[in-house]
Amino acid sequence: MVLELQKPRPVWQIMFSTHHTDVGLLYLIMSIAFLFMGGALALLIRAELFLPGSQLIADAMTFNRIFTVHGTTLIFLFLLPSASAVGNYFVPIMVRYKDMAYPKLNAIAFWMIPPGGALIWLGFADFTWYATPPYSIISAPGPAADMWIFGLKILGISSVLGAINFVVTILKCKHPDMSIGQVPLLAWAFLSSSLIVLVAIPTFAAALLMLLTDRLGVTGFFNPAMGGDPIAYAHLFWFTFHPEVYVLVIPAIGMMYEIIPRFSRKPIYSKSSGIFAFVLLSIVSFSSWAHHMYATGMSFTEKTVFMLGTLAAVPASGMHVFNFVATMWNGRIKFLTPMMWAIGGIALFFSAGAGGVANAAMPLDFTTHDTYWVVGHFHLFVMGTIAFGTIGFIYYMFPYVTGRMYNETMGKVHFILSFVGTILVFFTQHVLGLYGMPRRIFDYPAIPEWIAMNQIATVGAMIIGVSMIIFLINLIHSSAKGKPADIHDPFGLGGKYYYPFESKNPHH
Amino acid sequence: MGHHSNWPEWIYVGVIIALMVWVGAEAWNVERLVEHVPSDAEVIIVTGQQWFWTFEHEDGTKEVGTLHVETGKAYKFEIVSTDVNHSFNIHDYVVLMDAVPGRVNTVWFAPDKAGEHDIQCREYCGLIHYNMRGKLVVEDPTT
Amino acid sequence: MSETETVYRTSSARTGKMMIIMLGICIVGGAIFFGMWDYWISQPPPVVAQMSGAVDHGAPAVATGETITQDLKFVQTPDGFTDLAFNALTGEEGHNPTINANVGDKIIFNVLNQDGGFHAFGVTAEAEGFAGIIPGSEVASAAAPLQKGDSDSSEFVPTEPGTYYYICTVPGHRELGMVGEIIVGESEGPAEAAAPTGVSHDFTLNFVESEDGFSDLAFNALTGEEGHNPDIVVNSGDEVTITAANAGKGFHAFGVVASPDDFNNALWGSEIASATAPLKAGESGSTTFTAGAPGTYYYICTVPGHAALGMQGSFIVE
Repeated sequence: MVLELQKPRPVWQIMFSTHHTDVGLLYLIMSIAFLFMGGALALLIRAELFLPGSQLIADAMTFNRIFTVHGTTLIFLFLLPSASAVGNYFVPIMVRYKDMAYPKLNAIAFWMIPPGGALIWLGFADFTWYATPPYSIISAPGPAADMWIFGLKILGISSVLGAINFVVTILKCKHPDMSIGQVPLLAWAFLSSSLIVLVAIPTFAAALLMLLTDRLGVTGFFNPAMGGDPIAYAHLFWFTFHPEVYVLVIPAIGMMYEIIPRFSRKPIYSKSSGIFAFVLLSIVSFSSWAHHMYATGMSFTEKTVFMLGTLAAVPASGMHVFNFVATMWNGRIKFLTPMMWAIGGIALFFSAGAGGVANAAMPLDFTTHDTYWVVGHFHLFVMGTIAFGTIGFIYYMFPYVTGRMYNETMGKVHFILSFVGTILVFFTQHVLGLYGMPRRIFDYPAIPEWIAMNQIATVGAMIIGVSMIIFLINLIHSSAKGKPADIHDPFGLGGKYYYPFESKNPHH
Repeated sequence: MGHHSNWPEWIYVGVIIALMVWVGAEAWNVERLVEHVPSDAEVIIVTGQQWFWTFEHEDGTKEVGTLHVETGKAYKFEIVSTDVNHSFNIHDYVVLMDAVPGRVNTVWFAPDKAGEHDIQCREYCGLIHYNMRGKLVVEDPTT
Repeated sequence: MSETETVYRTSSARTGKMMIIMLGICIVGGAIFFGMWDYWISQPPPVVAQMSGAVDHGAPAVATGETITQDLKFVQTPDGFTDLAFNALTGEEGHNPTINANVGDKIIFNVLNQDGGFHAFGVTAEAEGFAGIIPGSEVASAAAPLQKGDSDSSEFVPTEPGTYYYICTVPGHRELGMVGEIIVGESEGPAEAAAPTGVSHDFTLNFVESEDGFSDLAFNALTGEEGHNPDIVVNSGDEVTITAANAGKGFHAFGVVASPDDFNNALWGSEIASATAPLKAGESGSTTFTAGAPGTYYYICTVPGHAALGMQGSFIVE
């Protein structure tokens, strides 16, 4: 929040402020709140799956609703808004402009998210976060389903408004002395992800509207009994959401581009290849969507085309990993909390990508599709890469935002527990998927291997839960009582490596 | 920007591209072989509905929940659904294909050993998706 | 940024106030959500009602009259779209035969798809379109049509006089000519429920499952065991009390219906729980109702699919 400490402002003035730092902080606090809410649902799911039979949750309907809201919350109400938080806070600073291009629109985009989130949570729909027809049309009960559809409509509009703001701010409002190549990589990340949003989200907005009118019986786009095709929805959905996963990952990689060179006390290995990789990734992300649909009955040619599109994205992601590793090579690395999170994130990003190559290969996908392999794979991305990068960046920006230092030991403990927990849960789930356990099931037969792996995963999840409590305590306590930080070099890295707010020194 | 040579990065990207080409070529080849349905495959119509499977053999025999087949023969499943999306899966034989209402999807297999295997539904279909299971019984031919 | 380097920071008091506001909102939201727990998933989507039509199938389908058998086959011109019909093309003898019947007659349709092409069958009371198919009268469906050379049967017992239509249920085929009339006159024999007799019956029908929860489902005892799906016989007008306990691990509900496929329409208030709010493992419930018009009915588990998997038995009213 923008404050001169001599003149503290009342809370409501902060809430309705349009200054980018206030809006960024609003996004951050809201997304952390939803992280805990969605994470609590995850712990419920893992506790229930500890053993076959019903443990905590009485019936399958409640379980189905829980995992639907878990996925929807963590994607739309944690991952996307936390990226917006970082972007709102730092992009204007990085391009040396006074605010975002459209400050009022910015605030409106933020304030659309709580009502969207409220619609989702007050209904608790049961049709998974994909909302696939025909189930979502003829079988999913309302009003929960309709509330979910409206909620996501609102969230989609918010995303698009935010994306417009980022693109205009970066391209049009950057300082006249700053060329586009001098814009920092974190800002490039937001430029890329915003451009993807502008192309991809309208497709889903259309699909949502069609889903709603199908539910009302007015149209039959996806309802076979009225002449429609459910697979049309799958195409529309994945055309948006495959690029969307890159919208989620690219800002986190951008955040790692802030942390890694600074904590290695070395310039980034190749900024131009970083920019190139972001742009290439944005374009190539649109070529692979139907790899989620291999089992729907596509022809051999269709599957081949999408497999090639999927494999084409791997070199671009690989370039980022190379950039990070080459930057750290021969650097004088200081292993503080943000750096540990970033390095852990890269390692898990690499593992997630490797597993993804197995999914891309058509025949292998028939073993892994809709099993826990997929669950493990995408969680390594969303938790292992994106959440790790985001949490690392939260630690990194903490002294800057609050003026105080967080507790370093607690930060390291948080990292170690989360890293161990993440590996326990999600690596195990890859193996569990190979043994055949399907996704989205409330109960499973008493197969000894399945039980053992589910139990390992539950233990890992509880470890992550404990670590997040430590995180929360650290955040709250340190912002009140933490040691005042040296605002120019809170991490003691030495003179040359500045915080984003001092990026008028474009020395790397 | 740094004034260092970029050849390590070029080599790294070259290795990745080579790896992806190899994966793509192998996958293309295997999938081509896997999708070639033998002409003498016996057709079994698989109907998925909330929340159970039914099977109909070529000779008209219908089975509910349990499917009996014989070793040494190829079977082609024609998979349909009467309500929502399901996915017919015999994990031990890597048989997986969605049951989408309004279309017929095809997948084939040729069991080689007698035994019992699980049939599961691998696409979320509602309340009892988790127990939309069945049994595949592979028997040696009686004659 | 000025030379004085404005620093952006917050204070714990402000963050604390924000968090309290958010917590308050969550608590209020939670109170609303949990307070109305049943409401949020209580409404089936409107399209479902539209697809099943507005016809009330609640009246019992009592087969007291004659049995009429009608053989039907789908025919079409070779190009597949110029003319489609049942039995014979337009202008030829036997084209879309009209069936005359009375209330209470059982009409059995033997439907054959000889020429191939996409066809399915059903009876509806609607004058247009393909909605409102009466349960029990379907052969295949638009989503899973009858294959070439295949045939199957279904039956239809009209409960009220009027004109019904047998059609091909693939969207558009009725309009292209695949429709015939069933003209139903008044019933000739009495088929009404008797007045309450004052006689009471009590039955216990427990839901039982095989160990794995899906291969065998039944009432009271599994297939082959004694007491499996017992027949129930009562007189019209008797008061019947059914107590059902869920002895399995899954979810079940109970109802007496006219046809085992018709799980959405339990008769006479005979429901215990429902498919959307079922009995969980260990729970039980009971229902008391008056048996209606004489006929052969079925008691089933009304969770979709469970009757077809074995949870059904005869409920005969004399």
